[in-house]
Amino acid sequence: MNKKKIVLAEDNSTLSLLLKFRLEKEGYELFVATDGKEALELIESQSPDLILSDIMMPFVSGLEVISHLRNKLNLSTPIIVFSSAGQEEMVLKAFNLGANDFMGKPFSPNELVIRIKRLIGT
Amino acid sequence: MVDYQYIYDYYSNTPHLIKWVWWVSALLAISIIVLAVYLKFIRLSLRKKSNETAKFKSEYEALLVEYLYSGDESGKLTDSQKLIINRIKDSIKTPSKRKIIVSVLYNLMNEVSGEMSDSIKTFYYETGLIYYAFERLKSKKWNIIGKGISELRRFGIDEASHVIAPFINHPKSEVRSETHLYMVNLFLFEGLSFLDNLKAPLSEWIQIQLLETLQRFDNQEICDIRPWLKSENNSVVLFALKLAQIYNQFEVKETLMDLLAHENKEIRIETIDVLAHLYGIEAKEMLKTNFNDLSLEEQISFFKLLEKLVVPDDEPFVEAYLFHKNFEIQLLALKILKEINFDKYIGFTKSSNNNKSLAMVKAVKML
Repeated sequence: MNKKKIVLAEDNSTLSLLLKFRLEKEGYELFVATDGKEALELIESQSPDLILSDIMMPFVSGLEVISHLRNKLNLSTPIIVFSSAGQEEMVLKAFNLGANDFMGKPFSPNELVIRIKRLIGT
Repeated sequence: MVDYQYIYDYYSNTPHLIKWVWWVSALLAISIIVLAVYLKFIRLSLRKKSNETAKFKSEYEALLVEYLYSGDESGKLTDSQKLIINRIKDSIKTPSKRKIIVSVLYNLMNEVSGEMSDSIKTFYYETGLIYYAFERLKSKKWNIIGKGISELRRFGIDEASHVIAPFINHPKSEVRSETHLYMVNLFLFEGLSFLDNLKAPLSEWIQIQLLETLQRFDNQEICDIRPWLKSENNSVVLFALKLAQIYNQFEVKETLMDLLAHENKEIRIETIDVLAHLYGIEAKEMLKTNFNDLSLEEQISFFKLLEKLVVPDDEPFVEAYLFHKNFEIQLLALKILKEINFDKYIGFTKSSNNNKSLAMVKAVKML
């Protein structure tokens, strides 16, 4: 059976590694990008089932990733965004651009797994 | 083949000035070569250092993730976790590696919550990193102490409070700020008790940081701020006034009234603002009665308050100050009059033949 693909765009390498470890254990295939530009390349080449993206990233922000995905590529792939305290405005913008869910940092990886399962199943 | 005799003859017959120029050129050329080699060496060593840092970072990140996922439900350390801890214990003896591990831990601590965050804290204790942070507090260098306090705050080590408390009045403001932030981050409103003993001024920046920290927490039950409103430290009083306004401390009315007679002008002005915020009309009437006893800045502040809370009954009071000697009060009085009785304001503009008053009327019209 084919594993479901997830693209994770996160500039904190420790968090990326932690989530990769956790989600691969849950049976997903993870593609990690350290910035928005790399994330867009991975999205176009891997056609993932879900995208996890931090809002603040170098070069191309999470908002730009969502906008590119929804308006340029016309893809409806579910997107979960990560936001830090004080980025509430950004979260609203992310939803307006087409994000499906958000998680405020610090978050529990277990909760993230539940939300992912709810969106794309196992 | 180079004709050395020709070069020697040329040099010998050259005027002194040209010789000197040649020497300087040679010296500069040698300096450039030496500096270029030195720069190359520095760049190479920095690159090597950054590669090593990246290598250690990825190694420790992997170890940390492995540690976090090798725990069991009992909450006790498993064998594999103990192995990882022992490996890290050896590494942290080197300061540069210790720095990398602390940064990796802190980066993750900010991003994850719940059990994982608790596990990171346990890791911090078990590896002995906490011991090094405590050691920093004994340093003679203020910046090392500051970093130690900051680290203990970021990892939420509340048992360090008795060691950190003596730094409340440290001569260096950076150490004091870190101490104050530590207290409030870990003990919330209870942590503000450091204000009781604070002798040094509390900077505006640290006040903002403390207020921001307090607002981040769910428990917004504030303690009695009266002792700080009566503090001999003016910055503490100003901070307590901010607390009174933000947390709507209606019960401190009497203390606020006493502050209207405070020797510090800034405190008196801030008190007027807080009174206006908390009691509105009531405070306005009270200040109107004592208007002539107020200083000029306080009178201006009062007129700004009146601008927000004005009612038609205030008209006689405002009218009395239309020709006040202070420009700002005159302007505010005129603006208020325009607001509450437009006809009277028009009448005033027509009757006014003084150039200064006419200019002011024009200015008010534009507003």
